[in-house]
Amino acid sequence: MSEEAILEARYLTRKFKTADSRVLTAVDNVNLKIYKGKTLGIVGESGCGKSTLMRMLVQLDTPTEGQIIYRGKDITDSKGKSLRENHRRIQMVFQDPMASFNPRMKVLDIISEPLLNYKLIKKNERKNIAKKYLKMVDLPEEFMDKYPQNMSGGQRQRVGIARALTLEPEVILCDEATCSLDVSVQDHIIKLLVKLQREKDIAMAFICHDVALVQSLAHKLAIMYLGNIVELISGDKINKEAKHPYTKALIGSIFDIGVDQNTQIETIESEAPSPLDLPQGCSFQNRCPHCKEICTIKKPELSKLKGEHYVACHLYG
Amino acid sequence: MLNPQSNKGKYILEINNITVQYNENSPCVKDFSLTMKSGEIVSIVGESGSGKTTVIRSLLGALPEGGRVEEGDIVFEGESLLDKSPEEWRKLRGTKISMIFQDSGAMINPIRKIGSQFVEYIRTHENILKKDAWQKGVIMLEKMRLPNGENIMNSYPFQLSGGMRQRVGIAMAMVFQPKLLLADEPTSALDVTTQAQIVRQMVELREVHNTGIIIVTHNLGVASYMSDKIVVMQSGKVVETGNKEEIIYNPKHTYTKKLLEAVPKLEGKRYV
Repeated sequence: MSEEAILEARYLTRKFKTADSRVLTAVDNVNLKIYKGKTLGIVGESGCGKSTLMRMLVQLDTPTEGQIIYRGKDITDSKGKSLRENHRRIQMVFQDPMASFNPRMKVLDIISEPLLNYKLIKKNERKNIAKKYLKMVDLPEEFMDKYPQNMSGGQRQRVGIARALTLEPEVILCDEATCSLDVSVQDHIIKLLVKLQREKDIAMAFICHDVALVQSLAHKLAIMYLGNIVELISGDKINKEAKHPYTKALIGSIFDIGVDQNTQIETIESEAPSPLDLPQGCSFQNRCPHCKEICTIKKPELSKLKGEHYVACHLYG
Repeated sequence: MLNPQSNKGKYILEINNITVQYNENSPCVKDFSLTMKSGEIVSIVGESGSGKTTVIRSLLGALPEGGRVEEGDIVFEGESLLDKSPEEWRKLRGTKISMIFQDSGAMINPIRKIGSQFVEYIRTHENILKKDAWQKGVIMLEKMRLPNGENIMNSYPFQLSGGMRQRVGIAMAMVFQPKLLLADEPTSALDVTTQAQIVRQMVELREVHNTGIIIVTHNLGVASYMSDKIVVMQSGKVVETGNKEEIIYNPKHTYTKKLLEAVPKLEGKRYV
């Protein structure tokens, strides 16, 4: 199967300066590819740099180093017209639609605004457009006269997806798009995203901290820990073949239905070190049960294990 | 009303058909009943808006403005809670019944250090010296596996991570070893790894102190791991209640089945 990389991150690094002029590396030398019609899941705890990575990919933030390649072209430094064109092609669905919608706009305006901005439709076509996209996300057309606060979380998230779809983007990035929703609603949204992806052959990246959820829709998974990708693995293999101790800990922390208190929930104790104050060597060393001497000296590189499976760990180096 | 004597020692908590209403709106919890033995863990699961939080808030007499228990009765250790005066409520809260919130960080004053609030809390309920209250706080924090309790006492809430703040919340709730601990989505705002740690810790509380816990959650996995009994709610009504095995392996109601199906599983369905 030929795979076409639509969006690519090359050696992407983002450093922030703190108030006391120390340097925080939020994303550290990340290489990723997002393929046409495929979903890349990005998993990790809060503060691991997932959102910063996403913001750089949609060009809401500029990387300190590295490049963003869109269809073979470097778009890292694009400005003005070309930046606007990129935004049209790369859209985003946010975690909290309440915070990303204008509370004084009706759904009709929310959905048609991007098209009006790009002068792709006339004002009198708005209603038809809103109807079409509401139908696409399984909402009744009467919803176009509602305000965001009069809808439930799941309905709002659907409107958020509808808005991202209107410009017919090639890439959609979802930043924890389902994490504030109830499980049953979550399930609907995931099914909807998968359906839309099939219909339109959209490339997707899906940020999530729930491994069980993200593996249900991702073709490939990237596990992030403190700014680094520690494992890259196919979505269907995560359960059996995950190698990195952190990935295993994430899997061990899932509460499956039917587990009882006799089941050992394998989790890691303690918390991640502050990203301002990373230890030398592997950043996972203080929580890793298999920490060796080399782990405290040398930082492991992401290296190929077999096929499409990459791990950054000295145990498998 | 039930005769308290007949049930003494059997149940610590009995909720008999309560209906809770806000202002003149239609009741948001209808006909809710639950009995609980000492040291039992009960989960209330359901979607947002199903009335889970309203139920446990009425147990604490802490319904938001305009909310009241219209019908039914809540009996705790053989005494009706609804007849209590505000003064009696205050004595009960925090000592015999206490609560952990979804984000304990948001429930503590952001501009005061943890220590000063902890000491104030202990001294409200117990007549001891500041110094001793401080020491008590430090011990509780360390019991909750927060390394260096002194340091935590001297921190502001924003200096702690979400998981640490939740542990502070649990430490505060557990100072007087309550008979009943109410937990409102205690892990929903946390990362999965931290969630696992907190859930384990809550189970330990039961083992060590024989605390009865009512946990409100939408995570059926957590509910199934922790609880002896599960109550499933939908739009203010109990649709199914039973012990864990019945609900998880043999759900009767279609809504329960739907909820169970929606939980993402690692070896579960893949859509791609």
